[in-house]
Amino acid sequence: MGGLLLPFLPLLLWSVSHRWYFPAIIPTEWSWRAWSYVFKANSQVLPALGYSLVIALATTLLSILIGIPAGRAMGLYRFRGQTVVRVLILAPVIVPPLAVAMGIHMVFIRYGLANTLAGVVLVHLIPVTPYVVLIMASIFANYNPEYEAQARSLGARPGQVFRYITFPAILPGIVVGGLFAFIISWSEYLLTLLIGGGQVITLPLLLFSFANSGDNALTAALSLIFIGPAIIFLVLTSRYLTGRHAAVGGGGRL
Amino acid sequence: MGKRLNINLGWLVVFIGLLPFLVQCASTGSGAVQTQAKAEPAADSPAAAVEEAGPPGVEPPPGYEGKTWADVIAEARGQTINWYMWGGQDNINNWINGFVADTLKAQYDITLNQVPLVDTVEAVNKVLGEVEAGVETDGAVDMIWINGENFHTLRQADLLYGPFAQFLPNSPNVNWDDPSVNTDLGLPVDFYESPWGKARMVIAYDSAKLPEPPTTIDGLIEWIKANPGKFTYPAPPDFTGTAFITHLCYHAAGDDPPFTVEFDKQVFDETFPACWDMLNDIEPYLWREGQTYPESHARQQDLFANGEVFFDMAFNPAEASSLVAAGRFPETTRTFVFDSGTVANTHYVAIPANAAHKAAAMVLANFLLSPDAQYSKADVANWGDFPAVEVARLSPDWQAKFSALPRGVATLSNDILDKNRLPELPATWRLPMEKGWEENVLKR
Repeated sequence: MGGLLLPFLPLLLWSVSHRWYFPAIIPTEWSWRAWSYVFKANSQVLPALGYSLVIALATTLLSILIGIPAGRAMGLYRFRGQTVVRVLILAPVIVPPLAVAMGIHMVFIRYGLANTLAGVVLVHLIPVTPYVVLIMASIFANYNPEYEAQARSLGARPGQVFRYITFPAILPGIVVGGLFAFIISWSEYLLTLLIGGGQVITLPLLLFSFANSGDNALTAALSLIFIGPAIIFLVLTSRYLTGRHAAVGGGGRL
Repeated sequence: MGKRLNINLGWLVVFIGLLPFLVQCASTGSGAVQTQAKAEPAADSPAAAVEEAGPPGVEPPPGYEGKTWADVIAEARGQTINWYMWGGQDNINNWINGFVADTLKAQYDITLNQVPLVDTVEAVNKVLGEVEAGVETDGAVDMIWINGENFHTLRQADLLYGPFAQFLPNSPNVNWDDPSVNTDLGLPVDFYESPWGKARMVIAYDSAKLPEPPTTIDGLIEWIKANPGKFTYPAPPDFTGTAFITHLCYHAAGDDPPFTVEFDKQVFDETFPACWDMLNDIEPYLWREGQTYPESHARQQDLFANGEVFFDMAFNPAEASSLVAAGRFPETTRTFVFDSGTVANTHYVAIPANAAHKAAAMVLANFLLSPDAQYSKADVANWGDFPAVEVARLSPDWQAKFSALPRGVATLSNDILDKNRLPELPATWRLPMEKGWEENVLKR
């Protein structure tokens, strides 16, 4: 854990530095300027944090709702045209987002989705969904649907089957897929800027605007805020990333 | 496993449960101002009373024929304005989201939404994209902080609303006869943008290391050759870098450079080779022997702050002072201008032709020109930007207040800054110059 946090030490130092010139090893003067700006009511940082969280969590939830049935179909069944479907699912990972973003923007403007929260969530689903579907597919490839038949034969209703049989079995995949979805959506810059039109302001947008202007203290403070939720989610789900639950390493062949 | 799972889900639920609270927190700032505005009607304030009518004998802007300024204010009430602007400096953002947003809300019941950009060209592209998609009246961009090439692009595509600037009640405070106001990089403004600040290039140096900086271009070149590796400039097309080499090219072209508004290929081919020779002549003595240049003004500032180079150039005469105050520049930083002068320009706000809230945008543009806003903006404690209004045109009270403003340690006096203001290279010449620099200096 300590090793994980060590790289952030320079960021922490930068965020409270006032004067820090080469070749000093630590800042020669200190200041809370960056942090007081971050927590100031009108600095847009807290609203951006809220927007980022709402968007990332909504994207995660939706992508899991899409990923479970899609992953089940891909992992459990063999059907005609499966390879084509797999390539189509992977397409957003292969095709650079910029190539299609302009076209998507036009369509979104026409449907009134540009500059809205819903539009940003929708466009974030494009890069996120392939990962979730693939992870769910690999979980379902190892999954034995006969447990479900057994539960039904013992009188379980469909809801009970999902709750007591399917859900616990695929939970590691949901957690890992969700983590991927959250982190990808959380750090998305280009699609947010284009579809959100600068009116849906997320943390990466603010971060880039300060990083570009060379204000190191503010950039460092914002970076730390930016990393925070991602680390919390990583810690909460880390046990599923290790081999014990076989979510990643133990997935079956697609 | 079941138990662990519960803990995890529990955390997630807590997290999600906290979300509405976080968002609420975020919006309380503006909420508080809103209630305040309702309790205190706007028209009572004396500043608003003075601005009821537009300047006499002036044509109202398109769409407002036969209407008065009071009609514009009435229409603007309750609107939300999206102001797209460069958002890279915290003191400017603070001033916009604090003083400007609060006053706008209290006086006119207009909500200001600042959209921070990395580069203004993003706003230009957004307007172009929207119009291409058929958004003619309900565009997202209500106002852009703009000048130079971006103004050129939008004006030539006929995507700016106007002429409107002459109709603003505070417009007579501006000296519209000044060529550095009524033309923007050579292109006539024609009231399609409204000025709100002025800039002039100054050169920053550290007086502790360099008590007597060279203040002529020949002197600077001599200094560069005598001190290898201690000078560089941001690579064009960085705004600051382009402006800096303009001085050398003016110098190389003689004292009265024949750069007309329209681009003249023949004059360009005759005058600019001397400039490239000059720049190539100093290149081996630059930082990293001129193999590479800082890619932005921000990197140049870093190099200067860390003492790698001895000079920084900036378009805001007060920037060095505010960077000293912010701790980024050494306390002994000072600035100078060349004896032969430095380029000066004006920055503006413009309203896209498809903006949804034109009335609110005009009210804001007018407010930015009010003595109140100009004074607050000129205060180094807020921003330190130079007034776009001519202080001599204001009331004696305001004149006294302006002259009593404290100046930053590194800021030159108005007397020096008002003299020898050189025009910027016309926008039509900039692209050829930037390309010429790349081909003849960078790649050689």
